[in-house]
Amino acid sequence: MDIFGDLFMGLSIAVTPVNMLYLLAGAVIGMIVGTIPGFGPSAGLAILLPVTFGMDPVPAIMMLAAIYYGAMYGGTITSILLNTPGESATVASTFDGFPLAKNGRAGPALVMQAIASFVGGTVGVILITILAPMFALVSRSFGPPEYFLLAIMGLLTLIVMIGEHWKLGVISALIGLALGTVGVDLETGQGRYTFGSAELIGGIYFIPIAIGLFGLGELFYAFYKGMHKTGTGGIVQYDKEKRFWPTRHDWMSTRMTMARNSILGFVVGVIPGAGATIASLMAYSTERSISKNKDNFGKGEMAGLVAPETANNAASSGAMIPLLTLGIPGSASTAVLLAAFLMWGLRPGPLFMEQNPELAWGLIASMYLGNMALLAISIFAIPLFVQIIKVPYRVLGPTIVVICTLGTFSVHASFIETYLMFAAGIIGFFMRLYGFSPAALVLALVLGPLAEEALRQTMTISRGSFGIFFDRSASLWIIGVTFALLVLLPLLNRMGKNAGDAEKAGS
Amino acid sequence: MRIAFLIVVLAGAIFYTYIAFADLAFLTRTGRLGPGFFPRLVGVSMVVLLIWATLDAWREGSGNAPATGSWRDVMTLMGLAIIYAVLLRLFGGIPATVVYLGLTLATINRGRHLQNVILTVTMPIIIYLLFDKLLNANMPPALFELPF
Repeated sequence: MDIFGDLFMGLSIAVTPVNMLYLLAGAVIGMIVGTIPGFGPSAGLAILLPVTFGMDPVPAIMMLAAIYYGAMYGGTITSILLNTPGESATVASTFDGFPLAKNGRAGPALVMQAIASFVGGTVGVILITILAPMFALVSRSFGPPEYFLLAIMGLLTLIVMIGEHWKLGVISALIGLALGTVGVDLETGQGRYTFGSAELIGGIYFIPIAIGLFGLGELFYAFYKGMHKTGTGGIVQYDKEKRFWPTRHDWMSTRMTMARNSILGFVVGVIPGAGATIASLMAYSTERSISKNKDNFGKGEMAGLVAPETANNAASSGAMIPLLTLGIPGSASTAVLLAAFLMWGLRPGPLFMEQNPELAWGLIASMYLGNMALLAISIFAIPLFVQIIKVPYRVLGPTIVVICTLGTFSVHASFIETYLMFAAGIIGFFMRLYGFSPAALVLALVLGPLAEEALRQTMTISRGSFGIFFDRSASLWIIGVTFALLVLLPLLNRMGKNAGDAEKAGS
Repeated sequence: MRIAFLIVVLAGAIFYTYIAFADLAFLTRTGRLGPGFFPRLVGVSMVVLLIWATLDAWREGSGNAPATGSWRDVMTLMGLAIIYAVLLRLFGGIPATVVYLGLTLATINRGRHLQNVILTVTMPIIIYLLFDKLLNANMPPALFELPF
């Protein structure tokens, strides 16, 4: 019953005019960011994080979280109308979303994706409400060995999901870990890689790197791919269709799809490193394999759109669990969210929900409201987002550079950090071009200092023996789960990718 | 190009590892793990994997090279971004933004003069109102004040 009491308390905090305004603003901004091809939630969060500096923590975190899950809603609009996913988590939505639009069913597809996103997101938040306090309770028994193992688990699973370019994924993570060692060593006070610079004593700040890699890097890559030259001639004109709303059959045939994939997406989202992309591909693959209409997949089957949409939104909710209860981000987006928490002096972890109930439950309650708002926005503001899709990259590009630059400077009024952001942007472009993983770098940069501190504490406790990892039951559990994930995830990843390849080959 | 990028990263990794071994102690005076422990672990792993990846790329040759893209456009955009970084230091946030937007739009959005002028004027105003007035955020100060 405590959960309901806490949730009502959270609702009372979230439902104030100012907080609701920021929540709605976050939802709309998230959707806009989602509609820009190449710009996912991590880019949106990184670019807009500095904008929230002048705000109070509660509305700021609510707004950032709304940008995070709002981007999942927005990313699908381009998948359906343009056959261009807004971000990687909505790739699976193109498989049946675009064929539906081409078949003259863009309106029903857009409405059903909004409903599926709402169901996935809301089921995800319900599961957070129930499970987050339990996770927090369990994680209270965790010590440095468990935190080290969890950080490694997050990085390993992310790298495993990269697949064939795993070597480049590990190198990306190692670069992130190396950048994380810059600054004064907290245990001995010795400077590391500072080269006498006062600006580097505090270490390399995470935000300029994230903005550079995800903001500028993605923009440069989009220009490289020639997206600034392509017009929007291929956009499906949904407003000329006779029927906008889904049929009764659309609703009835996808009820169980939504139920199944909400749970699947949430579970995948909780796993550090897995995330919304793999959840959506897995959901598509699973749904196709159990469907009676297997042959219609890839040709405009509504369940083929609903499954990945439900799963990616449930996964983005699930990813909040390790963030809130362990302080360990499972993805690049939640790593940026963690940076936001830290910026306000808040350290997510086992005691976070107990020590900051207003913020934690205010955030969870706001996610219920945010999903409702996004459902309405997704359906009734589609014409607005279609107009945004039409803004060409050659106009959007310079604007993004300006926002990234001034946003980075506004954090610490530091020119060095601004230059670092530009450098990260250029490096990020080459990383994307040659198959490296900017997400692994950012995640490692956040997890690196935590992992190093935990490892050194562990070695101090155990007097230099690695046997401590096998003496503690919690550590053994984490090692077991990590091994299971390392075996299972590549198989599931391959299954999802095969389904995607089959659709591409068939279409 | 891929090999060149890998070699540049490898050079950085070797330098990082050299510092880890030369300047940072593996153990503290009390026998605990020192500031060099983690960097050595990371550095050596990075060097080994980068050599492996470079050899792989060398063996594959140009067969695995990414498809040709708009190199000229992306280099132009990068160059303009670097010019913006320099202008920011010299003339401050808003004047530098006006110059950068004018220059960039004239380069990549050719022929649409009216649209470019409107964007060059309105965007900095919006940015100024958002960052300076609404959010009270830091804006880059000018090294040389402009007379206007």
